Amino acid sequence: MKYKLKHKTIYRYFEPVNTYHSVVCLEPLNNEIQVCKNFQLLISPSIPTTSINKRLDFFGNTNHYFSIETPHKELVVEAVSEVESKPQKLNPALLSITCAETLDLIQANRDLRVSIWQYMIESPFIHWDEEIKAFALPSFQPNRPLHEAVKDLCHRIFTEFKFVSNYTNINTPIKTVLRERKGVCQDFSHLAIASIRSMGFAARYVSGYLETKPPKGQKKLQGSDASHAWISVYIPHAGWCEFDPTNDLIPEERHIVTSYGRDYSDVVPLKGVIFSSGRHTLSVEVDVIPLEDN
Amino acid sequence: MLMSLSTNLLESYQNQIQKNYDEIKDADGKIKPHWQQLFSTLEKLGLEELNARCTGIISKLRENGVTYNIYESSADGHNRPWKLDPIPFLLHEKEWELISKGLIQRAKLMDAIYQDIYGPQRLIKDGILPPHVVYGNYGFFRSCYDVKLPSKNQLIIYATDFARGPDQRMWVLDSRTQSPSGSGYALENRSVISKFLPELTEGMTLNRLAPFFNTLQQSILNLSKTGKGQPNIVYLTPGPHTETYFEHTYLASYLGYTLVQGDDLMVRDNKVWLKSITGLEQVDVIIRRIDDEYADPLELREDSRLGVPGLLKAIRSGNVVVLNPPGSSVLENNALLPFMSSACEYFFGEKLLMPNIATWWCGQKRELDYVMENLHKLIIKKANRNERYRSIFARTLSPAELEKLRKEILEKPADYVAQQESQLSTTPSFVDGKIEPRFAAMRAFLVSDGEEYHVLKGGLTRSSAASDRFVISNQLGGISKDTWIVGDKDTQPKEKLVVASTDSFKHQTSLPSRSAENLFWAGRYCERSMTTTKWIKILFNTLHDNVTLGGSPKSQHITVLLQALTHLTLSYPGFLEESLCENPYEEILQLTSQLTKSGSLAAALQSFLRGVISVNDKWNHDTRRNINAIEDSLWELKGLQTSNPNTIQRGLDRLQTRLFAFYGVIAESHPRDAAFYLFESGKLIERILAKISVLRTGLSTQNDFPVEKEVMEAILINHHLLVYYRQLYKSHISIETVLDMVILDEKLPYSLTSLLSQLFDYISKLPNYKDPERLSTAAKFVLEASTKIKLAKIEELVLSDEDAYRLHLDKLLSELYDLISSVTASLTNQYFTHTTMQHSLMKNPENTDNNEI
Repeated sequence: MKYKLKHKTIYRYFEPVNTYHSVVCLEPLNNEIQVCKNFQLLISPSIPTTSINKRLDFFGNTNHYFSIETPHKELVVEAVSEVESKPQKLNPALLSITCAETLDLIQANRDLRVSIWQYMIESPFIHWDEEIKAFALPSFQPNRPLHEAVKDLCHRIFTEFKFVSNYTNINTPIKTVLRERKGVCQDFSHLAIASIRSMGFAARYVSGYLETKPPKGQKKLQGSDASHAWISVYIPHAGWCEFDPTNDLIPEERHIVTSYGRDYSDVVPLKGVIFSSGRHTLSVEVDVIPLEDN
Repeated sequence: MLMSLSTNLLESYQNQIQKNYDEIKDADGKIKPHWQQLFSTLEKLGLEELNARCTGIISKLRENGVTYNIYESSADGHNRPWKLDPIPFLLHEKEWELISKGLIQRAKLMDAIYQDIYGPQRLIKDGILPPHVVYGNYGFFRSCYDVKLPSKNQLIIYATDFARGPDQRMWVLDSRTQSPSGSGYALENRSVISKFLPELTEGMTLNRLAPFFNTLQQSILNLSKTGKGQPNIVYLTPGPHTETYFEHTYLASYLGYTLVQGDDLMVRDNKVWLKSITGLEQVDVIIRRIDDEYADPLELREDSRLGVPGLLKAIRSGNVVVLNPPGSSVLENNALLPFMSSACEYFFGEKLLMPNIATWWCGQKRELDYVMENLHKLIIKKANRNERYRSIFARTLSPAELEKLRKEILEKPADYVAQQESQLSTTPSFVDGKIEPRFAAMRAFLVSDGEEYHVLKGGLTRSSAASDRFVISNQLGGISKDTWIVGDKDTQPKEKLVVASTDSFKHQTSLPSRSAENLFWAGRYCERSMTTTKWIKILFNTLHDNVTLGGSPKSQHITVLLQALTHLTLSYPGFLEESLCENPYEEILQLTSQLTKSGSLAAALQSFLRGVISVNDKWNHDTRRNINAIEDSLWELKGLQTSNPNTIQRGLDRLQTRLFAFYGVIAESHPRDAAFYLFESGKLIERILAKISVLRTGLSTQNDFPVEKEVMEAILINHHLLVYYRQLYKSHISIETVLDMVILDEKLPYSLTSLLSQLFDYISKLPNYKDPERLSTAAKFVLEASTKIKLAKIEELVLSDEDAYRLHLDKLLSELYDLISSVTASLTNQYFTHTTMQHSLMKNPENTDNNEI
């Protein structure tokens, strides 16, 4: 599938802001199942493109740094790109390893443990306790294939939890999400990751986009898409496999990956520090537009 | 009483030594010669004399403002004085040579581990380190993986704590890598001990500390080679509320670097700039005393107000050198200790020259089992350093507490380490007038010139406050000791004097905008304290005279003078409610001593001290002593319970003398630089405004002559002119002559016209970098005020209308008041504009602690 991707963030300040420092993590990844072309960062107030610095972060995601030194009351950051995604080919034969076998393998294979360790332990947004373990446990029977167990966990989150916008924010603890049984894609992903890690497996956070389809017979509205989050779990032999607990499906071509991290804190799309005395409002518009030659 | 002990000091000390090894004995149990020598000097001195010197040391440290702020008690603003034992910790230089080798090896090892963790991570891949020790380490910052200094060594400054173990070797207890503290206290300890106990060095040669600091300066200079000559080096402190702030100001001025806080700096074009009163200056080197996570709110801790947004980016671009590089806190983790030995073998193929204290990290099965079995005799700590979690001496726990601890560890084993409670050596310490053995540990300091490490020949030794336990934290009441590396009398000191290049001698003249603002306001609050003190003293005198002469307390002149106090301190309604005038003492006491009363003397002093201490690096030694004396006055005033005028007056007299002494030291000794002119401008502006305020209250409305006579006398005293006036005019007093003197006479330093000329002179000397050819806006205001006063006519000023209102006088004074008030605003615009707040657009969920010394 080929898409044109637009992610526009607008900050409006009540008082003029004199200095703004920012780091953004918005450029889709380039890998064997996804090709990103013509990535552009459009910023207003405009700054010379040479003053935007690109850097690969610790996880291999692309970051862009820029600063604005002129007083402004509105900041627009628009990331535009074209992405071609191919379906990930999973060999079902490789997905048969059970939970118990996986745990044994991790225990026995030090190199493996080293390579996935940081996705097995607590991280800034991921903590767990007996309550979360108890929630995870029914899905992870020892003789069940791990891939199936994670699918089951995602299915349970999808069926037992309600997708409710604006009920949670990024600082809502996983335990609150678990108790209230509602949240958004970030919350469900964090809950799934905490559950999987609490069982002794490795899971990471995926930040990206999902092409949404308008209701039957209606035209797709501009800016109606959103950035999306899902998870990636390490399954021995198969490697990192992705799951979308919010939609109860295995990500394919419609999921476009921007970055991988331990949790949201590693892959914040847009971080900034401003010098100002006032408050601000924020709006985000995302478009994932399928291109003609699909 | 103290001298009546029959045995000599050495014998009586030996009798107290427990089974522990003591520093004074060598491996064969013989007294080491240098300790023998020290004890014989102490013997000559006698305990009584030692006690007297100790008292001297305590008050000297207090006077010098040597403090170690403690979080819990710093809320009330009371700094905790530094504790210094008069008996130094001695090590012979032969032993020190061996220790130095061990220290240098350890520093190189730490540097290698640091570079590996943020680089290829071979230690993890090759099985030397468990991955959790890195990935579960709160000091491992992923955004620092590509932060590199342009030198071979990355860990430039290093400090480590060690103590002597039962095998008589020195054991490493702990390391400080992100912003090691203590070397400034070591310097101050040395300077105080050598003043108070010069005879202690008898029979030994003592190594000096200064060469190390020369090396430090030279190393920093080497790292900052920018090809443009004089590098701009700043010392970054979190500010006056930090526990080791004394040391930051002390070292910054000792080393000659500009002391700055995070908001003095900014990043632009990937470079770091200092906001100074002469515009932006590029910064080449930052020696930071803020912790890693606070260094850059953009990429580290988002809610940090102490750091500089964009700093990591500037370091990566190679435009600034930050010491130590952010990320080095990864080494300050107790879980690393058990792996030091194998890491040393791995990198260098060498054995560790200095062992660690035995440490088990509970994140491994075998070690956890051992800890669970032996828990009752171990010390339990968190792997990630956490100040709120104090070391637990498990032997002191009840069975129930032990069980609870066991459960906690089993819940998250990787969070804990256990250490052996070893028999560390004791050292002679002066406790409550006696010499007793106490556990002690020494902190050593190292610096790399980029290629190799150099050790300070000395250090900071701290001894345990308790006699039965090894607790040396300053937060928990430990006592510091000067540390002597001594040679035998006949050996010459072998140190090479490092001749620094001339670059390092060049004076840094940067004045950060924030310091400029603090200096200005320190001047204003100092003078506000001065004028309030002066006026309250005048009031007391008048009230006394009034009583002596049998006048009624409702005498009109007293009401006028009391109301002048209310206007002066802007503490409305105050004496404008005339009922208060009948018994004015309570209100005067409150205006003197109550910190929370707006306009009070105590509040002004507090603001003065806050401002003046935040620019502590600008003051010389004598000035600091005066500041401390003024601080004492504040404590004295705050403690006033009585409205007995005599008690208050005595306190005010002392304060006034101290304030004058402070002005005097500055006038006599401070370089005539922008800092001086800003402080003096603040002082003069406040003085002019205060004099105007009193003149307006006292004389704008004409009173009956007997009343006006009293008021005029008070005003003359307020301008320090009564004696002079009487010499000229004897007892004749008239409004014309008084106004001529206090407003127009250019010969008199306290006349308004003199004060204004002086202010104009100082403000014109401030740098006007935006338009050096023209007068600044502030100078223009002063010139206008000065001209208005010069053109004033006395015969007009004294005229009053039918309501007894002196229109011309009041109009002139109010115009002057407005003009001089505008000076502050224009100085703020020109020099102090850094006040916008910084916000992060993402809130940080984490909450971790600060490190102690």
